[in-house]
Amino acid sequence: MNPMEEKVLEIMREVFGVEDVTIDASQKNCEQWDSLRHLALASELEDAFDLELEPEEIAEMTDFSRVIAMLESKL
Amino acid sequence: MTTFVFRNQTVEPFLGYDGMTYSGYGDISMVSADADRYIWFYQVPVNADSIQLAEEIDSYRGKLDLVLSQTGDQKPFIVFSLVNLFPLRVTGDQTALDEAIAAFNGHVAQLSRERRHIKWIDFSEFTLRYDAATLINWKYYLMSQTLLNPKLTHDFQTWWHRIEEELALKRKKCVVLDLDNTLWGGVLGEDGIDGIQLGGDYPGKAYSYWQRSLLQLAHDGVILAVCSKNNEADVMEAWDKNAAMVLKREHFSAVRINWQDKVTNMRELAAELNIGLDSMVFLDDNPIERELVKQLLPEVVVPDFPGKPYQLMSFFKELVEKYFRIYSVTDEDRSKTEQYQANARRQAEQSRFTDLEGYLYSLDMSLDIIPADEHNLPRIAQMTQKTNQFNLTTRRYQESEVRQRLDDGWRVYCMSVSDRFGDSGITGTIFLEPVDDLTVNIDTMLLSCRILGRGIEEAFIKTVFNLLRLDGFRKVQATYLPTAKNLQTADFYDRMGMTCVNIGNDGAKHYEMVLNDVFELKNYYNIRVL
Repeated sequence: MNPMEEKVLEIMREVFGVEDVTIDASQKNCEQWDSLRHLALASELEDAFDLELEPEEIAEMTDFSRVIAMLESKL
Repeated sequence: MTTFVFRNQTVEPFLGYDGMTYSGYGDISMVSADADRYIWFYQVPVNADSIQLAEEIDSYRGKLDLVLSQTGDQKPFIVFSLVNLFPLRVTGDQTALDEAIAAFNGHVAQLSRERRHIKWIDFSEFTLRYDAATLINWKYYLMSQTLLNPKLTHDFQTWWHRIEEELALKRKKCVVLDLDNTLWGGVLGEDGIDGIQLGGDYPGKAYSYWQRSLLQLAHDGVILAVCSKNNEADVMEAWDKNAAMVLKREHFSAVRINWQDKVTNMRELAAELNIGLDSMVFLDDNPIERELVKQLLPEVVVPDFPGKPYQLMSFFKELVEKYFRIYSVTDEDRSKTEQYQANARRQAEQSRFTDLEGYLYSLDMSLDIIPADEHNLPRIAQMTQKTNQFNLTTRRYQESEVRQRLDDGWRVYCMSVSDRFGDSGITGTIFLEPVDDLTVNIDTMLLSCRILGRGIEEAFIKTVFNLLRLDGFRKVQATYLPTAKNLQTADFYDRMGMTCVNIGNDGAKHYEMVLNDVFELKNYYNIRVL
């Protein structure tokens, strides 16, 4: 896992308030990953990586790998 | 503990999820009976039609009252004040919304005074830290109805945590104060009664404000006590003789001034005052003493003491907010009412008087004319050094030079001014040099510019003239020496009825006057000669 992926996992754990967040996490299989916390996650990611996510982009980030892909495309 | 939140917007990110249940947006149909406490966190919705918005805000009051009628008087009910996070006015005279917000907030404040379980939280205390662009993040608002910017989540939680602690904490009952470098600057045993920093300019000024603030705390029912390593007799003398001392012996309910360790002293103070150690706050500039008390008396609150005197004001605010803020009906009520009354009085004052005399009369001014002594001498010398505008001769003196002139038989007076709105302290001085048995020369006459514009200069000098006359003098001489800054005093002595006898090449004007009659003084000054 690269440092960015580790950082994202750490942010997800904090935002979702659960410890067992893995690279397989998605909105479907993670109960805490609801729509409100999804926005909190987006807000935290914007701050952590110093970038702006458009609403459409936020909507696309439905699982861990898509979050990573989105961040990589922006950096 | 479980909390039920009434809200009209998304607030979960701020108040959190654990133990929290949220109403629907603007929904009051369900009032949870199981909750241990309630929070009402409505905010002003976004709507360009401010009249419609004002009506909506007005409806919150009825909603809140309805909810309150169902939640009883036992469980805490916390209400956030309304803040207009997105003030939008198409025309400048659209004030209906502001009025509706003020009415809601006033209503809640009133309720919180009448009913103890209702706690009014001033949300503007948080929002005022940020500019309008920071408060709302439109992207997130439009995606989730989160009015407050999610980027402020961490700040909000820090602030909210403090509020929750305040709500849970009982008010502390007593402040225990060290003296040296805590209640005043410097060390009494080394610097002496007049050497400690108190009153006058900075840093003494900081300690004056600090003492006055503590006095206010005492008026609001907090017990003041002293725990200091000092010679008790020295301290009693300082309390007696230092004119700048605001807090004196009578303001302290108990004192321990000795060389005993502070832990023992604190225990004795608690016993004497019949309060628990857990209701005491210990203030001391010395970190070693603080650590000792912290270690051995963990129930006592021991805040860090500010390192710089100018930090005392914000430190006081912090103290009040953390330990002494109280939601009690009577105290809150009293102080609020007083403030409202004072403001109303001032406003009435301003509008009532169209003429200067009436206004001056209303100020209720007191002028104390005080002979120079060891307490005020540093201030007198300092004024000669710093005063430029209302200064007839602009002669600069060191303390020792003033003292020398006193020894030479000069009369030196200073003047302390106060009015109903506050105390300006020592703000003028006059130096009178004896010329012969019947004649004095005004060597120096000056007033601090912050008291000008109230005719005080005239009252001051005429009082001095009357004093001189009573003491058998028959003639006064005076000089005006022009500088770049003291033009406003160029005709002062002319206005005081003196005769200009000579004008030098340098523009210096020399005056004389015979002291025949008593000068009449305006009756709007309450003049005391000490």
